[in-house]
Amino acid sequence: MSAIVQVRDLQKTYDGGFEALKRVNLDIEEGEILALLGPNGAGKTTLISTICGITTPTSGSISVGGHDVIDDFRRARRLVGLVPQEINLEPFEFVMNTVRFSRGLFGKGRNDAYLEQILKDLSLWDKRGGRIAELSGGMKRRVLIAKALSHEPRVLFLDEPTAGVDVELRKDMWQLVERLRKDGVTIILTTHYIEEAEAIADRVGVINKGEILLIEDKAALMSRMGQKEMRIELTESIETVPESLGDYDLVRSNDGRVLTYAYQTTSTRTGITSLLKDLQAAGIGLRDVQTSQSSLEDIFVNLVKESAK
Amino acid sequence: MNWYGIRAIYRFEMARFFRSIVQSIVSPVLSTSLYFVVFGAAIGSRIQEVEGVSYGAFIVPGLIMLSVLTQSLQNASFGIYFPKFIGTIYEILSAPVSALEIVIGYVGAAATKSLLIGSIILVTSFFFVDITIQHPFWMLAFLVLTCVSFSLLGFIIGIWAKSFEQLNLVPLLVVTPLVFLGGSFYSISMLPPIWQSISLFNPVLYLVSGFRWAFFGMSDVPVAASLFAITTFSAVCLGIVWWIFKSGYRLKT
Ligand SMILES: Nc1ncnc2c1ncn2[C@@H]1O[C@H](COP(=O)(O)OP(=O)(O)O)[C@@H](O)[C@H]1O
Ligand SMILES: [Mg+2]
Repeated sequence: MSAIVQVRDLQKTYDGGFEALKRVNLDIEEGEILALLGPNGAGKTTLISTICGITTPTSGSISVGGHDVIDDFRRARRLVGLVPQEINLEPFEFVMNTVRFSRGLFGKGRNDAYLEQILKDLSLWDKRGGRIAELSGGMKRRVLIAKALSHEPRVLFLDEPTAGVDVELRKDMWQLVERLRKDGVTIILTTHYIEEAEAIADRVGVINKGEILLIEDKAALMSRMGQKEMRIELTESIETVPESLGDYDLVRSNDGRVLTYAYQTTSTRTGITSLLKDLQAAGIGLRDVQTSQSSLEDIFVNLVKESAK
Repeated sequence: MNWYGIRAIYRFEMARFFRSIVQSIVSPVLSTSLYFVVFGAAIGSRIQEVEGVSYGAFIVPGLIMLSVLTQSLQNASFGIYFPKFIGTIYEILSAPVSALEIVIGYVGAAATKSLLIGSIILVTSFFFVDITIQHPFWMLAFLVLTCVSFSLLGFIIGIWAKSFEQLNLVPLLVVTPLVFLGGSFYSISMLPPIWQSISLFNPVLYLVSGFRWAFFGMSDVPVAASLFAITTFSAVCLGIVWWIFKSGYRLKT
């Protein structure tokens, strides 16, 4: 099966000479939820804008649903909905009108029943006759989402949808994403909240300084890159870590009752067996052992640190 | 063609107009009435007739042109500048609408508005003076062509402008003087010969002259020249608009 969005050797240099994207390649599969994770200025918005036709690529090509976004822009764009990062709305417009406008703009005939459903799903139905200016920030973002969904897109881009929104809206948004996924809509969201990627994405891409550093199944990513920590509680406190255990880089807690050992689940030898043996040989008694997995956050921080080197 | 898209833009723009319908209509009617009072009464008492037409009637085509030109520029430039300014342009740029469709939507709406206002002024002037229109078809043709071509120019200005000051600059510094010096309120035959020659370089003169011919059968320049001028002007504007979309000038980064 070929990808619904294909990005090939995409490069973007802004007029000022700044290279925001450096030969990006990306395949997005139909029906998946892809989270693009990256710090501010990484190029997330540039990438999305280029796919959606707002920014012109310097070189490279993009297709959506097999249609080139420039040569066959009509067919490509009909498939795409975009929720921009900034809240760009006409303040004096009415909610329902602006959503209707979006649907028409994307070449669809009027279908108020469908729009009613969207507005209800987004808890906007009560506000349909109100002016945008009267809405709160979170409500405005819902309007942006309603506009993006108004023409029944197959691919939805959400550019930092939960940046600066309250917890309730974030939960609603995640639910909405889940519903859309059931309908087979492909969703690409950018975020710098790692929990978000962790909570809803199937795959995670990490982007920094205009390059995609990695793109992988979330679970695989976490286990491949995952660093684990083993916390060893001792029966008696120790003053110093014995020299025979020097190779393990153990960290001793202040009260001397806990040793922490960090290891890679991916390495062929974790060193756990020998560590336990050596602890016994050194005459140290164990009360309890716990292990914990590092989060996507740690993985992300490591990757970005590495790419900065 | 994405007809739904064109219709969406057109309706959206017209809705903006009808939201402020009172201002949209009252202000041109008021200013036209004032022109009649000031020009018609003050100057008309000195100049009774221009080539057999009463001065009050004589200025009607010029008045309509003045309003239609400024309205077209204002409406069209604001219509496209505003979405650029507040950022909603992203939606237009990411929609499956072609440059032509965007232009038809925006320029069509702006031209409709000025056509409506032009008609209102014409109707208003019936209350002040007696007018018979000799060539109604050509009157309408000149009016529509002017609305469309100056809305195109307004569209270009709206895309070019980076601030509200710039948005008002061209109408204020270029168009209004050209309209006043373009024989809107006088016949250039009343001017000294040197100014007559200079006036021939003013494009607005050709519009006003052609438009006035449609009313009264008299003109400063041949009607064919007027038609040629407005057609050329529209073509140039269309060319610039085409280039804007082709290059993404001030629309895309
Ligand atoms: N219109 C522009 N002109 C010049 N540089 C830009 C423009 N838009 C973005 N940039 C630069 O490109 C880089 C990537 O920006 P962006 O794609 O918005 O990042 P992100 O969305 O990941 O925060 C940033 O360094 C930003 O300053
Ligand atoms: Mg961004």
